[in-house]
Amino acid sequence: MKNFRDIEQLSAYLDGQLSSSDSARIESRISADPELTSALHDLRSARGILRKLPARKAPRNFTLTRKMVGLKPPLPRTFSFFRFSTAFATFLLMLTFAANSILPRVSFGTAAPMAAQEGYGIGGGGSGGGCEEPCLPALVAPEAAATEAPSMAMEALPTEGFPSASEDAARVGETAITETPAAKEAGNAAAPQDQPEVRSEALIPASWQLGLLIIGLLSAMTMFSLRQSAIQKWK
Amino acid sequence: MDETALIHSAQNGDLDSFNTLILHYQDSVFNTALRIMGDEDLAQDAAQEAFISAFRSISTFRGGSFKAWLMRMVTNACYDEFRRQKRRPTTPLEPDTADGEEMDSPKWLADPNMTPAERSEADELEHAIQHCLDALPTEFRTVVVLADIQGMDYSEVATASKVPLGTIKSRLARARLRLRECLRGFEELLPSSFRLQEEGNL
Repeated sequence: MKNFRDIEQLSAYLDGQLSSSDSARIESRISADPELTSALHDLRSARGILRKLPARKAPRNFTLTRKMVGLKPPLPRTFSFFRFSTAFATFLLMLTFAANSILPRVSFGTAAPMAAQEGYGIGGGGSGGGCEEPCLPALVAPEAAATEAPSMAMEALPTEGFPSASEDAARVGETAITETPAAKEAGNAAAPQDQPEVRSEALIPASWQLGLLIIGLLSAMTMFSLRQSAIQKWK
Repeated sequence: MDETALIHSAQNGDLDSFNTLILHYQDSVFNTALRIMGDEDLAQDAAQEAFISAFRSISTFRGGSFKAWLMRMVTNACYDEFRRQKRRPTTPLEPDTADGEEMDSPKWLADPNMTPAERSEADELEHAIQHCLDALPTEFRTVVVLADIQGMDYSEVATASKVPLGTIKSRLARARLRLRECLRGFEELLPSSFRLQEEGNL
């Protein structure tokens, strides 16, 4: 067997990949060396057999579909506008719901402790008269306090012997209900004006929400129809 | 077929143009995959994957031999398939005959115009060659399939297999030597016309 460098030269010679000078050199060697001639014959034979190998026809077509390559139909420019408006209207709508549901809780959460403080102030200090300004939160809260306090008081009753937070709460309830006739009067006078404010606490009017909903739905429907028509055209 | 125009259209996203190219090259691509993989089903998968990859990355084609570029996709798909096979080895299945027995040769794809003797001869030859090809290391097999079966020149093979020209020369010489040694073992089985084949007679 010749060295591998010779075999490589012979293989390249067979394929016509040698320069003319290299070809001439290897040809003279082949004619002088029977071992090289035999090696060339082997290489040529191997290549001949491979070339004789029958070519198979593809058993099926490999053509691609749009789905296979993940192609999407070209959408009109207005599509992105409607997509944005749908998303924006939906976002605003959710924001209005969030605002309407969270803000009243926040105002209640701040009003109740203040009402309780006021109750203590009135009951404990006995200075029931000074109620023009500090009583405002209490005026906002009376309804809440009136609804909350009885249940709190009822819960507090069985544990009366034990001074606890529930007892304090019961006391707050009592004071809220019974102890301040002045506050009561003031409350009665103020309630008709303030109560509607408390009840209709919706920060964003329902008509706005409805408007946003309609805008969102219309945009979404337009978006959908644009996409469908683009798909139809594409097909 | 104006290949350049079709490639340009395909680069602009025209799938129909690319499908025309596929119809032109699918036999070569399938044969290459078949000779590298040695299994028809795997070769079909590799060919399909190659065409999908080719369409997705056709924007990266910067001219030159489109066939060589396509063959690079095929060889990559075959290597990917080999890697998958290594991770999840499976038992190769031969197609069943009408009796439910496994076929031991791919006669279902033979040319129907062949006589039984010719078909048998072709089957034996194909079996012997494929056996010897399968015995080669994958990188040698790829080079010999591209150069000797697909008839590509060295620079095209270098493009397709992403190795330098010198490496192609070396691998091809080694692969041919090994194949010749391997085929010697089948000399008795091979039809007489293939025993001491001379290039001039081919």
